[in-house]
Amino acid sequence: MQNSSFLSSLWKYLLAFVLIASITAILFVWRDALETTLVALLYLIPLGMITAQFGLGPGITSAVITFFTFNYFFIEPHYTFTVHQPADAVILIVFLIVAVVISQLVGRAQAGLSAATAREHEATQLYELSTALAGLPNDHAIAQILAKQVHAVAKGEYVELNITGTRSFIYQLPGVARPTRLPELIIPIEAARGMLGEIRLWRAEPPISPREQRLFQTFASQSALALERAWLAQAESRAQVLEESDRLKSAILSSVSHELRTPLSTIKAAASSLRSKDVSWDSPARVELVAAIDDEADHLNMLVGNLLDMSRIESGALKPKREWNILPEIIEGVLARMKNLAAEHRIEVDVPESLPLVPVDYVQMEQVFTNLVSNSLKYAPPSSVVCIRARQEEDWVHVQVRNQGPHIPLDDLERIFDKFYRTTDAERVTGTGLGLSICKGIIEAHSGRIWAENVHGGLAFNFTIPLSWDGAKPPQLPIDTETE
Amino acid sequence: MSNAPHILVIDDEPQILRAIRTILTEKQFRVTTASRGEEGLSLAAAHEPDLMILDLGLPDMDGVEVCTRLREWTQTPIIILSVRDSERDKVAALDQGADDYLTKPFGIEELLARVRVALRHSARAQGTQTKIVKAGPLTIDLAWHIVKREEEEVKLTGTEYKLLAYLAANHGRVLTHQSILTHVWGPADADHTEYLRVYMRQLRKKLEANPERPQYILTEPGIGYRFIADE
Repeated sequence: MQNSSFLSSLWKYLLAFVLIASITAILFVWRDALETTLVALLYLIPLGMITAQFGLGPGITSAVITFFTFNYFFIEPHYTFTVHQPADAVILIVFLIVAVVISQLVGRAQAGLSAATAREHEATQLYELSTALAGLPNDHAIAQILAKQVHAVAKGEYVELNITGTRSFIYQLPGVARPTRLPELIIPIEAARGMLGEIRLWRAEPPISPREQRLFQTFASQSALALERAWLAQAESRAQVLEESDRLKSAILSSVSHELRTPLSTIKAAASSLRSKDVSWDSPARVELVAAIDDEADHLNMLVGNLLDMSRIESGALKPKREWNILPEIIEGVLARMKNLAAEHRIEVDVPESLPLVPVDYVQMEQVFTNLVSNSLKYAPPSSVVCIRARQEEDWVHVQVRNQGPHIPLDDLERIFDKFYRTTDAERVTGTGLGLSICKGIIEAHSGRIWAENVHGGLAFNFTIPLSWDGAKPPQLPIDTETE
Repeated sequence: MSNAPHILVIDDEPQILRAIRTILTEKQFRVTTASRGEEGLSLAAAHEPDLMILDLGLPDMDGVEVCTRLREWTQTPIIILSVRDSERDKVAALDQGADDYLTKPFGIEELLARVRVALRHSARAQGTQTKIVKAGPLTIDLAWHIVKREEEEVKLTGTEYKLLAYLAANHGRVLTHQSILTHVWGPADADHTEYLRVYMRQLRKKLEANPERPQYILTEPGIGYRFIADE
């Protein structure tokens, strides 16, 4: 690089000489027809051009050379550097002064122009960087843009960012091997609150100029601002989430402590009367009390289970373990387990045998059916019908659990899937108000949708679940038919 | 009394230990308890109990690991205790050689039933294999490959019979999806739970009086299946 810049300036000097030589030759041919002053004026033209084109150095040099050629070829006596006429001496001196002054003026204007161009270029690069950085949501994206920009502007070999702020990480330019030597330039990324990291730039040739260094420093302070902004935004959203979950926690505590205390009171009362001598061993009350303890313990277990499910859904830890399942098997299993609860109602299942296998988590889907059915049983009048219906609708399975319970106001149809939301007053129906929101969490984790609607003579819960799973369609199984 | 089966219970919760010890002692079992995994392992080696009840959530080591280490030297039946929603751990422990599981909180009838099945199974493993399994109206002759319902032969396909025979030979015990699939279809198909779902449904249709409320082929949600035979 250095070699080539030397060569190019050598060229400039050579070209300047050639130009002066050719002008001198032309003027020499017409020497007898031209006056000395005219020659001096004509000489000024190439001088101006040389300075404008090649810069101050070649300009001044050419001015001095021209001074000598002018004297040698055009001022009498010819072919000597002596001057006889005092007027010629004046012309010569004036020529030299004018030539040098012109060269200097043109050269300075030229240098100013190129400095302005360079500044404009820098400004453009800085503008590009800050536009690219504006609105970037996270530190990794910022690091990526910054590294790319530094690499492009510096035309460097390699760029690495070591971000040490709130979250420290190292960003390395992808696709290029990291040089083993130390970086040529390290620029700190500094913000008001201290060091946020540093930019490491590898570029051996040409050496990094002070101007470039200043530019990269501006880059660094731009990205420091962007990083701080991103971190602040993140902190703010974290604070919001925390506040939200705080509110949820106190809601859980107030709702749950009441719900938990009810079965506990029953258990405590029953157990303590069994311990006392008031209840004789063979009285029917004893059987009642024991049954109450057993039932309430189950109830308590279910409440705790719901809370755990909810916290898992809230924290996004609910990951369905999908397998190809037969929907009726899941439904039948749930109904078999709920047969005591459902004693007062009639449950109808309407699922065609031809329904394809569904890609669901068996246990979670059991939970959905359990909650939807038990919700229906709670609100629907005794001896009414609860109908579970499933149909394939193109690439989805649509399930409906329909009961003959009361309608829900239109505004509440969506809100019943919210945590702790209940349409009727809490006195009438027990539960944490979590059942439906757990269903929602599970169905959404299966990329499905759940909703409720008022239908003729009752209320229907609907959900849809895609029949394909990671692009796979329900499998066709190799069924053997021959008997042993 | 020294002939009464000896049961080792490993659980870190003192209340659970107290309850299980009371109930099992009442039922004439000898009971030893441990509250840590290492302690349990050394007690198991020292006493060689007839059965072990192992909680999966121990403070010092993973219950599944306790299971694995026990299985390195003993075939004593292991019943694992765990909380709801830890199907993955239960399945891992069962695939590591545990015999059965109970989900906390459990009823005492459930516990005793599991204990009886496990003890019977280990006695059977030492003696001769059962040739005929009876379950209500069903008779499964494992030697002659004949399945009868109310004295009438039921026609099963090859795969159906293999499946039923494996379940019946291990009646009372829970069998994980993976173990059934590996045994009936081979290790290459160990992930194809859908085979099980479909074949179990067919089997139930052929064997159960009411396939929708099966009495003999029971689903253990998220774990596997269990065949219930007459005692």
